[in-house]
Amino acid sequence: MPGLRISVIAAALLAAQPLAAQSLNEGNIKLIEPGDTVPVTKIPDKIFLRTINDPDDIIWMRVPEYRVDMALAPPVHPSVEIRYSEDYPQQNLVFQLARTSDRFYVRLRWADPTKNISTERDKFRDGAAIEFSDNDEYTSYMMGDSPESAVNIWYWHPDDNHVESLAAGGPGSITRLDEQPVTGGSAYTTGSNPDDSEWIVVMSRPLKDEGQYQVSFDRDTIPVAFAIWQGADKQRDGLKLVSADWIIADMKPPAPPAVGN
Amino acid sequence: MVKRQLSMVLDLNKCIGCQTCTSACKLMWTNRNGREYMYWNNVETHPGQGYPRNYQNSGGGFDEDGALKIGITPSAEDYGIPWEYNYDQALMTGTDPWLRPNVKPTWGANWDEDEGRGEYPNSYYFYLPRLCNHCANPACLAACSRNAIYKRQEDGIVLIDQERCRGYRYCVTACPYKKVYFNEQISKSEKCIFCYPRIEKGLPTACAKQCVGRIRWIGYRDDEAGPIHLLVEKYKVAIPLHPEFGTQPNVFYVPPMAPPRIDSEGEPTEETRVPLDYLKSLFGEAVVGSLATLKTERAKKQAGTDSELMDTLIGYRHAEMFKLS
Repeated sequence: MPGLRISVIAAALLAAQPLAAQSLNEGNIKLIEPGDTVPVTKIPDKIFLRTINDPDDIIWMRVPEYRVDMALAPPVHPSVEIRYSEDYPQQNLVFQLARTSDRFYVRLRWADPTKNISTERDKFRDGAAIEFSDNDEYTSYMMGDSPESAVNIWYWHPDDNHVESLAAGGPGSITRLDEQPVTGGSAYTTGSNPDDSEWIVVMSRPLKDEGQYQVSFDRDTIPVAFAIWQGADKQRDGLKLVSADWIIADMKPPAPPAVGN
Repeated sequence: MVKRQLSMVLDLNKCIGCQTCTSACKLMWTNRNGREYMYWNNVETHPGQGYPRNYQNSGGGFDEDGALKIGITPSAEDYGIPWEYNYDQALMTGTDPWLRPNVKPTWGANWDEDEGRGEYPNSYYFYLPRLCNHCANPACLAACSRNAIYKRQEDGIVLIDQERCRGYRYCVTACPYKKVYFNEQISKSEKCIFCYPRIEKGLPTACAKQCVGRIRWIGYRDDEAGPIHLLVEKYKVAIPLHPEFGTQPNVFYVPPMAPPRIDSEGEPTEETRVPLDYLKSLFGEAVVGSLATLKTERAKKQAGTDSELMDTLIGYRHAEMFKLS
């Protein structure tokens, strides 16, 4: 019963380490620069994930974390431009990329002192997204270029954890795809002060792609980019924090050194 | 530019504030599914704060260079939180001795009805029915980063493509008349559709058809035989609300005439009871010429001579107030 064993270990570890936000700027989290390559960790087949998108699953302690600088996206529409502030602070996003034999996973965490999950007349929700280039890194990371040079975006909703699979071929062209194979989960952890609070989000999809514009994982490398939205600052649409340019996800990295060596 | 533009003219001298247009619109479009708080058509008292509260000072529209201006997004309280009554408990089962609303009403459409301004005998107010202006230069359309808002080529009606809308609410903020509403149930924006399913059948909008005061005319701007051309272009008595917002509305108003102010001796003066400066603050300088023409034409009719303008404004036959082809 390997699944039971993992669950017991996870329960023991969680009991020993109560959920608390970790500092996003820890020195042992490697800062990724635009264009860097990041390995996608292969989760061994013998490891059973109790809940597919559990953000607290013990497995995530075995997957390396990376961080990227997130800055307010350059405005591409007047409605964004009149709300754009050059002084808006940058922040870090910590990400992990993993896959099993049949599923691709991304786990994100970022500091957010306010949990904004509802969409009301004058209230905006938090959000997070990962963007994949359908082609190579010459596709614009700013929402793609054209239908022939498109991007696939997984956009997480904080209210019910549903994840939309979207396609875009240029700013303003985001379209919800007919097939919606991406699922998600999240946790909002609060620290001793609001600055320690953070979102942890997991999104995943079967490796097999079904439908046009769903990203293909049957590639050696996949350009990815990230975005987060701070609802408290009325962020939506192009008003968002983004990573700069593509980061290259390496689907077939060299095997890591054996544990203990 | 669209091929043709449907327009509406409303004569404020004839509006009695009965809210029949409001009810007609609400029953047809906004009494359900997250739209309960919306009044695509509302009638507000002026001077007053309007609906949503203080919308005239909520920003949006365009600056002198044609650039979008930032605005505010009204809160739920600014619109008024709709309430229901406990009819069953109070009137049927008798389990509550009081008939009362389920939320404490603090504000709503036309909350400041008939308050107006001024001291007797010079107190004044008038009613201002409002709907989407289906502008020639819509700020909502310019503000939408999704290209979800468009003007129909055949009639210039401004619509929101519900498939493309993703609920960013730039349009809500950008409309200086605050006539785009956010539906929280579906996370999309919605607005007056100028009853286009009725228009396509040759019928006038519900608000215009139901108007008991016959204050509304509907027709195409380019139809020289129609009422809109006569009122807007030929006599220039129908003018847009807040032209300085820069959106070029296609809903026009015949401004309210008023009796003379009374002086301290109880005698009428040359000033009108509704101050001209107040009307200018709503309709711009064009209100001066409009009121002068109305005065001249009304005098003709009073003298027993013909006035094409007054005969049109009277609206003898309701069906002739709508020219939809």
